[in-house]
Amino acid sequence: MTSRIIAVAVLLFLPLPIVIVVLSSFTSAGYLSFPIKGVSLRWYAEFLGSADWLRVMGTSALLALIGATVSTAASLGAAWAVVRHRIRFGTVYETILLTPLIFPHAAIGVIMIVTLSSLGWLGTFTGLVLVHCILTIPYAYRPVAAALRKADPALEEAAASLGSRPWRTFWQVSLPAVRPGLVTSLLFSFIISFDEVTVTMFLVGPFVMTLPVQVFSEVLESASPVIAAVSATLVLFTSAMVFVLDRVIGIQFFVERD
Amino acid sequence: MPKFSRSVLLLAPSALLMGVFLIGLIGLITSSLSIDGQLDLGHYTAILNRPDYVEMLGRTLRIAALTTFFSVLLGFPTAYYVARYRGNRNFLLLLIIFPWLVSIVVRSYGWVVILGPRGLINGFASWVGLADRPMKLMYNDFGVILGLVHVLLPFMIIAILSVMLQIPRSMEEASMSLGGRPAHSFRTVVLPLALPGILTGITLVYLMATGAIVTPLLLGGLGDTMLGTEIFQEVMHFFDYPKAAALATVLLITALGVVLPIQIFERWLVRRLSDGAGQ
Repeated sequence: MTSRIIAVAVLLFLPLPIVIVVLSSFTSAGYLSFPIKGVSLRWYAEFLGSADWLRVMGTSALLALIGATVSTAASLGAAWAVVRHRIRFGTVYETILLTPLIFPHAAIGVIMIVTLSSLGWLGTFTGLVLVHCILTIPYAYRPVAAALRKADPALEEAAASLGSRPWRTFWQVSLPAVRPGLVTSLLFSFIISFDEVTVTMFLVGPFVMTLPVQVFSEVLESASPVIAAVSATLVLFTSAMVFVLDRVIGIQFFVERD
Repeated sequence: MPKFSRSVLLLAPSALLMGVFLIGLIGLITSSLSIDGQLDLGHYTAILNRPDYVEMLGRTLRIAALTTFFSVLLGFPTAYYVARYRGNRNFLLLLIIFPWLVSIVVRSYGWVVILGPRGLINGFASWVGLADRPMKLMYNDFGVILGLVHVLLPFMIIAILSVMLQIPRSMEEASMSLGGRPAHSFRTVVLPLALPGILTGITLVYLMATGAIVTPLLLGGLGDTMLGTEIFQEVMHFFDYPKAAALATVLLITALGVVLPIQIFERWLVRRLSDGAGQ
């Protein structure tokens, strides 16, 4: 009985601050306060009228798009070698790909400063792409590998025995079989990259900035409700992604074990 | 092309990315161990000789431990409830997964809006005339722990749930039909089988709590620092990279020192459980 009360309270508690942010973004007052003074869209107008905010949002979207594509492609290659070629130490390699998950983000931030400055990429878009690829690989790898394990290699063998060339077999037989896994990897790593702050804020500079990092520094410095409007937009983006993910593979994917 | 070279080609992109990460990790450790190119533990002794740093380390461990504790306390009943829910389970999953995927900046900011001096709670309290001065709900450990529990709880629930959904309800029912009381069946059947999930959850939550920066800065302020926020300030305000590298290595040691033993225990436990199932 107590456990049920805890569970229901937790399920209400998790979305609470997000709902509050979205609701407070519609205030007409110059500061956030409760109960809100009046309803208006003025903070959305300010956000969408600001070239700065829009540029930062574009950077974030492009970064997440490139990062997700590269890490999904890299994951597909790795999963192919591990699952199909059954390379030696395949499980060890899978564990290595998951290591960015077991490092605290603050430590990864400093590690990446060291790496990017030796490459001359600190504070550049290229540097951010590299780091976001590393950060999203653990998320991109699992869905692709799971899809590849489920796909039947006999189909490929059949295509090959009927005279199909390796590349054609890959494009017309293998790839369609893992498509849901690929789309899941892309969407999942896109979300992770688009929302990433802790590592990214070590690596941004005067020439490159991402949306969540910009929101973070604005919250530290001001109390303008425009932050609520930007945050609500981020929430909207994430909802769209979750909706598509649910359609493609189903939300229970997140709690399944392979 | 022989299969071996094809495998190498397929592994190249991911190996390159992981290689960059590994080289950076080695670079971090070596730069924290050297002063003017010489092997020197000076950065570490300097950290341990400063009482404020030792206190900061203690605070980090305390906050991470409390965050993990509350996450288990709240996460386990939630995972159990969701796993045994007979209605539309996907809706409940959505209530967990969606907040989890929303940026931590947005979620932490949400707590600033709720707990802040002019926030939801204080606004309500003064509106009904409960308090004439704003209550201090953030810029203290309470705010930081509340924020961290909120941000990290989904990891715990997901980790436990993914194990719990594997446990057939019939196992619990069998135990009860053999005369086991619900509490007893729960303790002897559900809890041991769910333990690997709990351990994974503890690992993830503890790791992220020790290395958190965003939530402690927004809800704790610049005063009482934690390891993560201290590292951030060394880099952003003082540009002291060697010290930041030493602090980051200390962070790695504190995190992995707790996490690796748990992981080893979990693997042993899983092997024992699957052996038991085989007999």
